[in-house]
Amino acid sequence: MTDARTDPGSRAAPRYRAEYRERRGAMVTVGLRMMLHDKFKFAGTVFGVVFAVVLSVQQLGILFGLLAKNTMFVDSADADIWIVPPETELFQAGQLIPESALHEARVTPGVDGAAPLVVTGADVLRPEGGSEAITLIGAAAPYDLGGPWNIVAGERSALAQPDTMFFEYSQRHSLGGLTMASEPEVSGRQVRVGGFTWGLQAFAPSYAFADLDLAREIADLPEAKIHFGLARVSEGHDPDAVAADLARRLPNVEVRTADEYSSSIVRSLLFNQLGITFGTSTAFGLIVGIVIVALTMFSAVIDNLRQFGTLKALGCENRDLTSLVLVQAVAYGLVGSFVGLGVVAWLAELIRAPQLGVVIPAWLVLLTPVVMVGLCMLASTLALGRIRRLEPGMVFR
Amino acid sequence: MSDSRAIDARGVAKTFGEDELAVHALRGVDLQVERGEFIMLVGPSGSGKTTLLSIIGCVLSPTAGEVAIMGERVNDLAERELSALRRAHIGFIFQGYNLIDALSARDNVALGLRIRGVDRAGADAEAASALERVGLTARAKNKPSQLSGGEMQRVAIARALAGRPPLVLADEPTASLDAASGQWVTEMLREISEEQGATVLVVTHDARIFELAQRIVRIEDGAIQEQERAGRAQ
Repeated sequence: MTDARTDPGSRAAPRYRAEYRERRGAMVTVGLRMMLHDKFKFAGTVFGVVFAVVLSVQQLGILFGLLAKNTMFVDSADADIWIVPPETELFQAGQLIPESALHEARVTPGVDGAAPLVVTGADVLRPEGGSEAITLIGAAAPYDLGGPWNIVAGERSALAQPDTMFFEYSQRHSLGGLTMASEPEVSGRQVRVGGFTWGLQAFAPSYAFADLDLAREIADLPEAKIHFGLARVSEGHDPDAVAADLARRLPNVEVRTADEYSSSIVRSLLFNQLGITFGTSTAFGLIVGIVIVALTMFSAVIDNLRQFGTLKALGCENRDLTSLVLVQAVAYGLVGSFVGLGVVAWLAELIRAPQLGVVIPAWLVLLTPVVMVGLCMLASTLALGRIRRLEPGMVFR
Repeated sequence: MSDSRAIDARGVAKTFGEDELAVHALRGVDLQVERGEFIMLVGPSGSGKTTLLSIIGCVLSPTAGEVAIMGERVNDLAERELSALRRAHIGFIFQGYNLIDALSARDNVALGLRIRGVDRAGADAEAASALERVGLTARAKNKPSQLSGGEMQRVAIARALAGRPPLVLADEPTASLDAASGQWVTEMLREISEEQGATVLVVTHDARIFELAQRIVRIEDGAIQEQERAGRAQ
């Protein structure tokens, strides 16, 4: 008799499947109602998901923000190709390379233009005493390759005027209360403020821009030596192919496309510095959140054991009750994700600063509910295990 | 075993635990119940009546013996098949009502029907009708926490009888009720079972309702001691 009801191959199977669909629909309703009925448990479980989302997404957002800060120069310098010293990992002052590399670049087919760049440390003397470090960038006119961007005061072309520099606006107070009329002393050389940028600060001190010659003078760098060479590729040419051609011509330096250089900075930071720190805190947030979810879902099942036993006695199968619990897991994952993402957005705005931006890419926003639903379903296995072992006979005890 | 009987239990034994810790809850019980009978299973606490009810309700397996429900032998059925059998044949009424706290009275009754595969609209309509039958139309939207014990038991009866199962098993349905409510609930159970032609097995030790039974089966120390015709059927 029962084979006809439960065997998918039997003639009664279509009716059985139709009944199963109805039961599953009922389980969805009951699952959601039970979930909302105990408001404290609902809030506790959602809190677990929110905790996991806030901690992990915020940590990832800060990580992406830090990575973006460290790649922003490469990403914003308007160069398609970078000529860098061998074994360069980050964007910072390192070995010098001969400026002649630029001559080779300029005659390489597909290169539209090339410009030098020097990067060095310097100090701004404060009127009240003491000094503040800056990362001095020396670019060549017309400063379109490696020159200042995010300009909030002044014109980029002002760098061509004698002894003129651009400073970071958000650091103007620590740099001695700079204004457009200031004439600060930078590593012993008096300069004029030609303009301000905003938000140009990585791990190192904020960027300050000067003409290439002024930067060399301030930092006492040798002539004909540069830290980086920047090249722009002509329209219609493939940067990868041009970079490969240029690399063959310059065997003593490294030639990278901007994308490659940016990616290599990210890889270096992730594998050598930031990855373990942020990976650990992100994983910790997810684990703690999911443990909270697992325990509260399990506790909800224990509290309602008699009701689950009743459902079994009334004819529900284990898979029906599995549907019920999984519906709850999905709902917890979605509600917690949306609330958590809202909290993260609020916190991101709260802590946003020139030194630190929380970057939450769209894919992370889309991925978060998917991951949290998956983790909540995983967390529900503890509760599911208890329900599956539950004997319907307990309703008579 | 007879195909015509609602319940046919032969030599049913149930032992909990093992060796020196073993508890023999049932010791070779034979019980045959014809279709449409209204029967009460009575006995002192710990006599084995609820264990027998659980085995007949296919929520507990016997250690020995054979059980057939509505002509179907249940001993060797898998859990999923037992669930299907319960859905098809059995309505339950529990001592503690066992309503779902999160659902209204109407939704509790409709849930029993939807578990049996009735679609939402049909279940809602039939649940409304069942609640009307037990006099609870006005309380249909109330949740169990807003109902009295008697009202909850009436909802449980409506849930058990909606869908017209051929066999209804009730475990101490009047235990938590005052005398008047207990009498009312039992009479309603009896009336509805007669209307629907359902077999009803009531486990009770409430002597006030014995007179309503067609047959009383007395169980003691895991064995049936006595069966007597009683109440209105006589």
